[in-house]
Amino acid sequence: MSHSEDVLLRVDGLVKKFGELKALNGFSITVGKGKIVGLAGPNGSGKTTVINVISGIYKPDVGSIEFDGKSIYRLPSHKIVHRGINRTFQVPKPLAGLTVLQNISIAAIYGSQAGNKTETVKEALEIVGLEDAKDTLAANLTLAQQKLLGLARALATKPKMLLVDEIAAGLSSQELQWIADMLIHIHKSGISMIVVEHLMGFIDSLTSDVVVMNAGANLFRGSIEDASRNEEVIEVFLGR
Amino acid sequence: MLSKYYSSLGAIFVIIFIFVTLPFVYNNQSFLFNMMMYLALAEGLNIIYGFTGYLPFGYVGFFGAGAYGASIVIMFLRISPFLAVLAGGIAAVIIGIILFPLLRLSGAYFAIANLAASQALYYLVANPNLQKITQGPYGIDLSSVYNANASYYLMLGVLVFSMLLVLYMRKTDFGLSLLAIKEDRVTAALAGINIVKTRSIAWMLSAFVAGLCGAVFAWFTAVFYPSTVFNLNVSVFTIVFVLFGGMGTIVGPLLGTLILYSMYNFIGISTPEYFQLFYGLLIMILVLFLPNGVVSILQHWRIDVP
Ligand SMILES: Nc1ncnc2c1ncn2[C@@H]1O[C@H](COP(=O)(O)OP(=O)(O)O)[C@@H](O)[C@H]1O
Ligand SMILES: [Mg+2]
Repeated sequence: MSHSEDVLLRVDGLVKKFGELKALNGFSITVGKGKIVGLAGPNGSGKTTVINVISGIYKPDVGSIEFDGKSIYRLPSHKIVHRGINRTFQVPKPLAGLTVLQNISIAAIYGSQAGNKTETVKEALEIVGLEDAKDTLAANLTLAQQKLLGLARALATKPKMLLVDEIAAGLSSQELQWIADMLIHIHKSGISMIVVEHLMGFIDSLTSDVVVMNAGANLFRGSIEDASRNEEVIEVFLGR
Repeated sequence: MLSKYYSSLGAIFVIIFIFVTLPFVYNNQSFLFNMMMYLALAEGLNIIYGFTGYLPFGYVGFFGAGAYGASIVIMFLRISPFLAVLAGGIAAVIIGIILFPLLRLSGAYFAIANLAASQALYYLVANPNLQKITQGPYGIDLSSVYNANASYYLMLGVLVFSMLLVLYMRKTDFGLSLLAIKEDRVTAALAGINIVKTRSIAWMLSAFVAGLCGAVFAWFTAVFYPSTVFNLNVSVFTIVFVLFGGMGTIVGPLLGTLILYSMYNFIGISTPEYFQLFYGLLIMILVLFLPNGVVSILQHWRIDVP
């Protein structure tokens, strides 16, 4: 990872304040090309904020964010999307009054310059298995389906990197396994990922490389196995 | 491919037919003109309200800007009223650009700030110190270029233009991107949509239509005062018509205007106080119980409304 050409995302010293609260307090992370990094930490430690800042939803106060060798620090979201980053939401945010097909089409049309839009939409529908629901209003989907729709929208923008925020939360163990397989399939098509999850078990099925954060800062980086033996990690997870 | 346009184009042809033939059997030209004007204003408001959710209570500001923009150009440059109408539309767009920062506000804050802006423009235009340019409170006199028939058909042209704009928005990716922004800004941005640019374009198009309407109104009326073309009723009527008919479609604003403006003319003018009460109550009832207007009843019956 020391060679900069192998690094896809390099985030350094991020600070994000909400009023008095420092939700991020010097957080750093790097993700290599073609890699999956897990991001774990107790509730409220700042995982979602990391994703919100990288994807341009929130403007950071201090730090640097480089993607594919270029700074994306404080760019608006749509430009970050065009550079090749997309994300999913912990709580799905569908375009509720539009159909599944319209949701995905709009991302294909505006999200990337490359490729045949119809093909892109069809592919995204296939990957998440929503072909049969394509004419359903997004508002009428189940929670699990809305999560899949969010994933499909992200994929339709042809990202190089996907930020996945607690996609497992609220799903059955069967759906969990299915989504894990889906993410592995997506990763194999060449998309790097940060996978945020409260549960180590889900991360374990995707990667062994994990970053643990606490109170907006880095606590640990290494293998899941080492994390589970690390005293500080054990303390923040159990002492919550 | 063209078939997806049939029902919308049908609606547009019906409107053209009505306003070309009606003057031969019904000779209240002023009523027909105002009806067309409100139809066009309703479609113009539909562009910003129906497709982005911004409710422009100061919509009349663009109308007034168009009326004065066109009049000033006619008085000082002595150009053809047809060109002057275009200048009126552009004047409204310029006001729209000045008001871009308002688009950062949401909901009621936007509505109120826009209302305040339209009133500020009203006082600016009516200010006696600007008499050399705007005639201040003394009003405009365009009787030297007055031409009722030409301005009547020009209004029909503006109406058709406004309907075609809404048709364009309903059938293209641009319109879909506006609807996406209306549904959820964050999700729209992550679909790669440039929100600031997209909604600014919708805002300018909406302003342009109102400016054209104001400009043609100025020509048709020939003599008017600042209080005529900055009358808040223009905003209120237009909003009620759009709400009543149903926003986001071409037909909704048309239906709303045809029904309510006719009612206003046949019952409202004789008893204006009651009519304003009626409109006020109607707005409340619509927002509470029928937020998507009359067309939502049709849509509920699975009738495809263009
Ligand atoms: N928009 C916001 N406004 C104020 N505080 C926020 C906002 N978003 C997150 N926070 C706060 O920042 C901290 C980190 O939150 P978050 O990133 O959601 O944590 P996690 O995803 O790890 O559970 C929490 O204390 C949370 O309350
Ligand atoms: Mg979270």
